[in-house]
Amino acid sequence: MNKENAIEVRNLYKSFKVQYDKAHTLKDRLLIWTKRKSEIHEVLKNISLNIKKGETVALIGTNGSGKSTLLKLMTKIIYPNSGTVQTNGKLTSLLELGAGFHQDFTGRENIYFNASIFGLTRKEIEGRIQDIIDFSELGEFIDNPIRTYSSGMYMRLAFSVAINVDADILLIDEILAVGDQHFQEKCYAKLEELRDSGKTIVIVTHSLGVVKELCHRAIWIYKGEFKLDGDPAYVIDEYLKQSAIDHKELIRKQKETGEYQSKAIINIDSPRDLAKISKTSKKYLLRGWLVTDESKAKLKLFLNQEEIGNVEHEPRPDVYDVYYEQFPGSLDPNTLGWKKELDLSEMKEGNYKFTVSCYGSEGQLMESKEIDFTLEA
Amino acid sequence: MQVWKDIYNYRELLKTNIKKDIRGKYKGSFLGILWSFLNPLLQVVVYWIVFPFLMGRAGAVDNYLCYLVTGIIPWTFFTTVINQGTTSMIVNAGIIKKVYFPREIPLISQALSGLINFFISCIIVVIFCVGTGEGISYHLILLPLIAVIQMILSLGISLILSAIEVYVQDTEYIVNFVLNMGFYATPILYNLDLLKGSGILYTLVSWNPVTLLVNAYRDIFMYHVWPNAVQMIIVIIFSLIVLIIGYKIFKKLEKGFAEEL
Repeated sequence: MNKENAIEVRNLYKSFKVQYDKAHTLKDRLLIWTKRKSEIHEVLKNISLNIKKGETVALIGTNGSGKSTLLKLMTKIIYPNSGTVQTNGKLTSLLELGAGFHQDFTGRENIYFNASIFGLTRKEIEGRIQDIIDFSELGEFIDNPIRTYSSGMYMRLAFSVAINVDADILLIDEILAVGDQHFQEKCYAKLEELRDSGKTIVIVTHSLGVVKELCHRAIWIYKGEFKLDGDPAYVIDEYLKQSAIDHKELIRKQKETGEYQSKAIINIDSPRDLAKISKTSKKYLLRGWLVTDESKAKLKLFLNQEEIGNVEHEPRPDVYDVYYEQFPGSLDPNTLGWKKELDLSEMKEGNYKFTVSCYGSEGQLMESKEIDFTLEA
Repeated sequence: MQVWKDIYNYRELLKTNIKKDIRGKYKGSFLGILWSFLNPLLQVVVYWIVFPFLMGRAGAVDNYLCYLVTGIIPWTFFTTVINQGTTSMIVNAGIIKKVYFPREIPLISQALSGLINFFISCIIVVIFCVGTGEGISYHLILLPLIAVIQMILSLGISLILSAIEVYVQDTEYIVNFVLNMGFYATPILYNLDLLKGSGILYTLVSWNPVTLLVNAYRDIFMYHVWPNAVQMIIVIIFSLIVLIIGYKIFKKLEKGFAEEL
């Protein structure tokens, strides 16, 4: 094994036997003549890769692409059918938060339980217990039994132990999404600190923004195969393109079989519900946005059940950023927004009902939003 | 050897596991850890009252109460380690699927906490020996040796059973039954001499390794003599062989644990 490499994977194959009714009892094992439905599911096919010391690498791919399996193979929780995984240096995998926690013991004692599963010795734990307690922000609660903790406190403690486990190689599986915004930012800052201190980090995540900011390199696993490897921005872009293609293909297939239900989300930015609008301003701008994966969708605006025409579209890159993953390949950032200027001088004072509706290709109502506002003198 | 290095690296896990086993088990109950001694003790009382009636004069042993205590407490140690060991991979399925650590650690820590529990229970045995007039003697220095041999034997057995249990979950019920049978195939309630003349049954019971261990305990606690050296050496060799075979089987099967559980 090359000394510069932290992890070397060579010609790795892994398949699972999927059994529909697993033989768990002796009777089932003995009844070999009863045909049990089973199929071999190839999860990883011929994966070879090197991860150098000090690199932070993201594994990306859709659900079921095999990236978590690859991570489990690296930690030696499961073993390959053929091929090898070699690692160089102390390895810790953070696949599970709070492993080994015992409800009746205090937070402090549980730090010992949890950290010892990661293979730390008492001295090592004592050396960083203060860091862990500080990081968790639990303060004096640390000496209470953890059955008294809220779920947020529990996760914070678990994560603090995990992130403070000092190893040469850290394998992290999608566990960063805990706690509030403030705590998450702290976690990412800690990960950046670990990255800059020369640790090797392999991370599996769906948050592509994190990948771009944190990682030196991204590896894309596609249907069990090694698809692309390189700079995160480039790999993510290719990955999203492929996802869009796959998604469209899936929708096309579903439409053929009639299973598909297209989605739409409508938002009204102004006016707000129950707003009071003064007539003195003469004009008022109705604004909002619509995202949908139905290409022939029609947007209609109604004021007191009467349709208003001449709705204009406007670019909404902010909305696009939020929804492009959820609606891959079907959104155009330049036409997501809608707006319509109302001429208030021609309208009577009183209560109005404003409705925005989206209709599908066959004229069926897909989504509708309604608000009330009052026009005042 | 890899196995020693693994265990040494994860010694803290071993320690915290033992702590959890001993302190965590009875944390919710009023009498706490006392239950682990109270249970076999209550069992002793039941047998002490019932058995002389059933067996009559034929089964009578001098100082039957002390005889029972010196048999049942080691037997409890044996069954506890094996029963808990058999299901320990299933019980720990959650972390086995998610975290790498040497899989034998839960088994070793269970055997060790069983050993510690047993040593504490021995205080009760000593109290009974003194209280029933047998007294104690310097022969007790062999107690740690005998207990450790017993631990090695039960660890070896639970290595085999826990690995099989992952694949075939009937194992725990079979183990339950076999242990129940084993209780009567060991001279705990009765004197081995009772079986003399019954041929094959006598041979089986007298070569039962647990019989040899229980005899050794009685020798040092009750009769104040050294245990039979030949028998002890046989038990040591047998226990080590079971441990090595058990470890081999466990290592062979452990690769599939995360997938099977």
